[in-house]
Formats: sequence, C-alpha cells, structure tokens
Amino acid sequence: MGFYSRMRTSPYFSPAVKALAWFPVVMFFVDHGFSYGTVHGRSMQPTFNPDSNKMWRDRVLLNKWAVTDHEFKRGEVVTLTSPSDPKCVLTKRIIALEGDTVQPLKHNKAPVYVPKGHCWIEGDEAFHSRDSNTFGTVPMGLIKAKVTHVLFPFDRFGPVEKRPISKRVTVGFIQPGQDDDYW
Amino acid sequence: MGPFQYFRQNGGKILRGATYAVQFMCFAHVFNQYIAEATFCMGPSMLPTFNISGTIVAVEHITPHFRGYRMGDVVVCISPAAPGRAVLKRILGLPGDNVCVDPTSQERKYIDIPEGHVWLSGDNLSNSTDSRYYGPVAMGLIRGRVFAKLWPECRLVPDALIPVSKEHYNR
Repeated sequence: MGFYSRMRTSPYFSPAVKALAWFPVVMFFVDHGFSYGTVHGRSMQPTFNPDSNKMWRDRVLLNKWAVTDHEFKRGEVVTLTSPSDPKCVLTKRIIALEGDTVQPLKHNKAPVYVPKGHCWIEGDEAFHSRDSNTFGTVPMGLIKAKVTHVLFPFDRFGPVEKRPISKRVTVGFIQPGQDDDYW
Repeated sequence: MGPFQYFRQNGGKILRGATYAVQFMCFAHVFNQYIAEATFCMGPSMLPTFNISGTIVAVEHITPHFRGYRMGDVVVCISPAAPGRAVLKRILGLPGDNVCVDPTSQERKYIDIPEGHVWLSGDNLSNSTDSRYYGPVAMGLIRGRVFAKLWPECRLVPDALIPVSKEHYNR
C-alpha cells in the first residue's frame, strides 16, 4: 500500500484530522479574544516588573476583544505595535485621547494637540520609557490589546489599576463638524 | 413532533453541523488574516488603477513577511485618522527615503521618512487624502498587499514602478 492510503486507513488519522480542525478556532480565539503576554523592560514600573533584580517577567492577560470597537479610556494600559519598529510590541498607558491637549514631560516643549484617531501614550516609569514623549502621538489603529489583569507572579495577581486623568492633560473633544472623510 | 422532541432526536446532528460551521468560519477568518483575502473598495483616490464605483481586490499577507514592502506596492492600510476604516494606497516612500511632500503644489517641500514609516499616496493626486495630509504612516498600520483585481475585471496588479531611462526623462 502506498503512503497516502496507509495514512488514511490508520486508526489515528480520523482523530488527528478532528483535532486539527480545532486549530483555526484556537487561533481565532488567541487573535481576537484573550491571550497572554510577557512584559519586558522597566518602562511600566511599578505596575509591571517592579523589581528589576528578580529573574521573572510579568505575565499579563491581553484582552483583544475589547479593542475591536476602538473605545479607550484615559488611564488604560494597552499593548501596541511600535511606530518606529513594526516588529516590536510596546506596553504603555493611554494618557490622552483624540481632541485633548497634553503637556509633554519636558516642560520646555509646547503643549501637543492630539489629532483625530490618535492618542498619547506614556510608560509609568518616565525615565526608562520610549513613548509619546519620544515619538509623539500614536494612531489608535496600532493598538492591539488592552492589558486587563496580571497573571504571574501570583502575589500580584489581579486587575491592572487604571490611573485617573493626569494633570498634564486638558480634556477636549473633536468638534462634530470636523469629521474628515479619508478615502 | 414538537420542537423539544425534534431536538432530542437530531441533537447530535445539529451540534455536529454547528461545530463544522464554527470550524469552517474560523478557518476562513484565519485564512483571510494570514494568507489572502478579497475585499471591496471604492473611491476616487486610486483612479485610474482602481475605479470609483467599486472593485473587489485580492489582498495577500505572505510576501510582506519575507521580502517586506517595496516601492510601488498597492497596500491596504488602516486609516491613521479612523482606526475602523481601511484605505487603499500606493507606497511611494520607504523608511529613510527623502520624498517630495506634494508634487501638485507650487513650492516643493521635501521630507525625510522616519524609520518604521512609509509614504502613502493615491494614484489620483487631485482627489486623494493620503500622506500629503496625515504625514508618514507607521508600517504597523499596513494590513496587506494588493496583488490582483477580481471584479469587474480580473487581472493581476503589476508589481512595482516601471524604471524610466534618463534620456526619456530629459527629453
């Protein structure tokens, strides 16, 4: 018998195909539902990786379903593709949304108006963070997931706190008539 | 036979059918996300390459992983101004290039494209909102490369820009 017919009549063939058929469902769930991620670096101290000397990195729950309608609140922690390197994923906190005016951390810089579809993100640890203070406002289409809970280590297991609106933000809104139609 | 008895007799078949439906839909979605998909796009910004009343285009996601995006590629990209909307544009500048911001304006201004960004431009410069307005676009927003048109005419979209000889340009 040839290889193909031996494979088809094997008693393991049917369960293997049945198991393989669930693979796209799992991929869909991981891509659009919930998955977990590892936080590297010190830019979100003390929220994540508060002790740089320890060996482990924080594991967090990523909620990808919540970003499908692109509704964000100021103070939420999100993961996003880095604007300067599309292969790199950053974990930062949203400080300001579209229409707001933000004062960057360097006080000699002018306040920045966040245009439509963009947001201002910052890491909790200002000195070790490459964020909007470095590369400016970030389009919200780059945001991939909301970081909702810390899974590991177990002594910090629980929801990620949302910070109140920073004093450097002047909350604004986009005028209703200025809805530009981009093709 | 009431609905309860019908479900008790055929419950296994219904559940199996529902399982196959969910598995097929997830497979189709994953295929669209990672391999290729067909999307509908309309608008005046890519005339004459794509018409104004609507085209179904074939978008692929494989070659950008291997050889990256090249100059002249037509790409589907999430709009920087509206994260729920996708736009169809052509890449006219790669990271590190120096491009002219608006060839249609009186004074020519040039800009360096930062790393991780590309310059998008519609083929119909008279009616296209593109990088001339919202600046260089982060490559993380690009969703895929258009390689063929499916409807109303079925043909491959040519690969890149055509090189022009210097004598032709100076004439």
